[in-house]
Amino acid sequence: MSLWVDKYRPTLLGKLDYHKEQANQLKNLVQCGDFPHLLVYGPSGAGKKTRIMCLLRELYGPGVEKLRIEHQSITAPSKKKIEINSIASNYHLEVNASDAGNSDRVVIQELIKTVAQSQQIQSSTQREFKVVLLTEVDRLTKDAQHALRRTMEKYMSTCRLILCCNSTSKVIGPIRSRCLAVRVALPSTEEVCSVLTSVCRKEGLLLPGELAKRIAEKSGRNLRKALLMCEACRVQQYPFSADQDIPDTDWEVYLKETANAIVSQQSPQRLLEVRARLYELLTHCIPPEIIIKGLVAELLSNCDGHLKAEVAQAAAHYEHRLQLGNKAIYHLEAFVAKFMAVYKKFMEDGLDAMMI
Amino acid sequence: MSKLSAGRKASCSKLSSWVEPSFGDLFSGPGLNSFRPKKGVSSGETESKSRKQVADKGGQRPSKRRAVPDPQGPLDSELSQGEQDEPWVDRHAPCSQADLAVHKKKIEEVENWLKAHLDIKPETKGGATLLLTGPSGCGKTATVRVLAQELGCRVQEWSNPLTTSEFKTEESFRDTFNPDSRFNGFLGVSQTAEFQEFLLRANKYGRLQMLGEGVTSGRKVVLVEDLPNQFYRQPACLHDILRRFVKMGRCPLIFIVSDCLSGSSSSRHLFPRDLQEELGVWNISFNPVAPTSMMKVLTRIVTQEAARSGGRVAVPDKAALDLLCTGSSGDIRSAINSLQFSCLTDCSLEASAWPGKKGKVLASLSRGVSRARSKSKSSKSSELQDCSQAIGGKDASLFLFRALGKILYCKRERCTSPEVPSLPAHLSEHQRDRLLVDPELVVEKSHMSGELFNLYLQQNYLEFFSDVEDVARASEYLSDSDFLTAEWSSRSTMQEYGSSVATRGMIHSNSARAHADSQASGGFRPLHKPHWLLVSKKYRENCQAAQCLFTSYCLTPLSLQTELLPYLAQLTNPMRNQAQIAFIQDVGCLPLRKYPGRLKLEALTDKDPGMLDEDSEEEGAGPVVPTPSDTTGSTPPTEDSAQPCSQGPGVTCQPASHSPPPPRLCWRTRKWS
Repeated sequence: MSLWVDKYRPTLLGKLDYHKEQANQLKNLVQCGDFPHLLVYGPSGAGKKTRIMCLLRELYGPGVEKLRIEHQSITAPSKKKIEINSIASNYHLEVNASDAGNSDRVVIQELIKTVAQSQQIQSSTQREFKVVLLTEVDRLTKDAQHALRRTMEKYMSTCRLILCCNSTSKVIGPIRSRCLAVRVALPSTEEVCSVLTSVCRKEGLLLPGELAKRIAEKSGRNLRKALLMCEACRVQQYPFSADQDIPDTDWEVYLKETANAIVSQQSPQRLLEVRARLYELLTHCIPPEIIIKGLVAELLSNCDGHLKAEVAQAAAHYEHRLQLGNKAIYHLEAFVAKFMAVYKKFMEDGLDAMMI
Repeated sequence: MSKLSAGRKASCSKLSSWVEPSFGDLFSGPGLNSFRPKKGVSSGETESKSRKQVADKGGQRPSKRRAVPDPQGPLDSELSQGEQDEPWVDRHAPCSQADLAVHKKKIEEVENWLKAHLDIKPETKGGATLLLTGPSGCGKTATVRVLAQELGCRVQEWSNPLTTSEFKTEESFRDTFNPDSRFNGFLGVSQTAEFQEFLLRANKYGRLQMLGEGVTSGRKVVLVEDLPNQFYRQPACLHDILRRFVKMGRCPLIFIVSDCLSGSSSSRHLFPRDLQEELGVWNISFNPVAPTSMMKVLTRIVTQEAARSGGRVAVPDKAALDLLCTGSSGDIRSAINSLQFSCLTDCSLEASAWPGKKGKVLASLSRGVSRARSKSKSSKSSELQDCSQAIGGKDASLFLFRALGKILYCKRERCTSPEVPSLPAHLSEHQRDRLLVDPELVVEKSHMSGELFNLYLQQNYLEFFSDVEDVARASEYLSDSDFLTAEWSSRSTMQEYGSSVATRGMIHSNSARAHADSQASGGFRPLHKPHWLLVSKKYRENCQAAQCLFTSYCLTPLSLQTELLPYLAQLTNPMRNQAQIAFIQDVGCLPLRKYPGRLKLEALTDKDPGMLDEDSEEEGAGPVVPTPSDTTGSTPPTEDSAQPCSQGPGVTCQPASHSPPPPRLCWRTRKWS
């Protein structure tokens, strides 16, 4: 039994639930059996990967669905061994090169080279190129991106690249201009609702429209999240009721409590407790960027309108620091301390004003 | 002493005579005389004393004999020459408890231990072990020797054998280098084996009764100061030998290990705490010699020497002694050595000739001077402080605990002098009294990288603050300093600035401690080790493990960690293997509605060196993919038996134990529909 997200993932371009026009275009694109390098971008949970897999299936047939996990080790010129996981079928290879951290450039160069240099054996029945799917291209270092640009030109005859990322802003211009950019937007709330309803129908469940809408809204139109939420609701209670509460993930609840702890008291001791909670979140694999984002959202909803600008500014400042800096905790803690100071001052001023 | 070592000593003497001619001319010049007994100068009283003991027991050492003059001999010129050669550390080695510069309590402690363990009744089996630690030159060995003398027991000391001890004759030594007879040479026994042998023999056999000696008591202590190098690499070796000794031993065993700040070869490494508890090792830790008692010793030596030499010794004045005292940072051996050097008539250095470098003096932190300054605010003492020492200056060092304390407690001095301009009214909140510490110096002396020091500060600063606004400011400075060192290419340069920003920022922003008189509040607060290193390591390991375990979901790390894992924890979706289940139990769930107890506060004690696994913090370290050897295809039985459901969320997570799926072998067909 797999997750609903995987179970009901469409595999044909024709069967996609939304962005049908785009699906049609993609179908036409691969009709002639060839396509340029693609840069697929869009927010998380919009269906980028689904579309890419559909495209590959259109191209190569059901053989692309036979996936295997490969564990590759690449030796960098500096004799450093880099280990990386990849997922591959006979026709394509999927790699998240940013897993390799700073040595992603080597991964890009070596991996694509090995793929590109091996010719397809039966080119009569197959396509004459393989596809390399690179995920999280926006997290590659600049070095790696430049290496990628060179590789793209060099091995055009034997391989096609599909790049997948959330935003093109961190992808360098030369790569953007060498690819056909395909933006996959988030589905609208109605589309999410219809997907949820159809999935539930296939599961033999009855999903009230109101609940579907609430799930869609709560998930932020992230379809993957919506389906996971829906499945969690199913575990929590069935038959569904329209007003049942949608379970949050533990870390979201935890983050909310942390925000409450910050708002309820502002003292060094409390900051110490908050720090322990931040550490706890970090050890549970919640990235610091997500923590600060979630924290700001919670805190902003808790504080007065006058403060919002100041708090948001501090948050932006420390988020920036977080990206540049080394040790996240300094910046997270500095933000919390800053908020505490601002909030406390505001409350005290308010009290004084009341006294007068 | 064992037969073996006696033979060794004999060959040593042979060797030294073989070596001597080439250095003969060195020894003739009177100006260089003080350097002649090299051994004695370099390693001080302990070594040469032991040599003396060895010399009268084992072979004769001609070179040594010359350096030990007959104290009762006539004071003719030649002998006084020879006398001048003798290092003062040897000549003025303490011979009674009163002479020792060590604190009375410490002496008493060691004495009590010795008294308690010297006379071991035959029925009580087992040897007692004492571990003396402390910085070098604080009188550890001297204390043991003096006490042993007073208690009438012998000190039997281990010294590392030389490799050349195997060569019985000069010929055999030469033969080793002769390719024809290469099989003759180097029939060595490992140092470890020899050490064990030594302990055994020292334990079992008494001393031979030499003719003409009085009846000696059977009491003796075994002293080990010079541990075989092997033990530094493999402390377990030492531990095994010790365990055996503790069972079999009959006489007390004393280890003397100097503290060192690098930490790797320190007593903690050799004698970890659990071993100390297991074997009942009694640990006495010495402090650096206090300036007052050092001053007393130095003055005594100077007066004695002045009387003896009759004006041939340039007697330094009190200020110079003071400087020596502070410059040596509690190392009495180096203080005496430099005293002797500075007293040499030929090259005596006038105090005025000492370079008045305006560098920040090591002394400024030394307690002695700060006390002196607070006592007498004379300009003289501060002047003295400013000129650095030409000879015998020793790099002072601070243990992390004290270094942190200096920053966090940030002692200030009330400024009474009116010439210091005060800030204008609108800036008055930034008015601070003068600091008694120099933050950069403190960081430098803590022998840590600025980044690591900042981590320690960050862990501990909150307890010292009372106002949130101050905290906000301090944390901002910490954030700044992290930002400064973000770029790896410039990190080595920026590190100092970073730590400067952090320490000074923290000191300044603590407005509760802005003034000297507002500092009475406080009292002792325990310090702790930083969590961050652990947390970030765990974060990376967990992310890594998540990647490995859930590759088949084909998700980016972000959505894997924030969406899939937490929801998987809530779903009743059967997992493929035990490792995944355990991982989700551990990482996917958070202990809600209670404050986390996962991170234990680890108190930082007095002499702890800094953490050294800093390299784990290195950026750009390649992803640590777990070894493919431990596969989950065959899940270990231990994990099978462990009920994953019974694992509370509070169980400490051990991501390393989650073995990744079998990487290469698993061909998994996965349907998308």
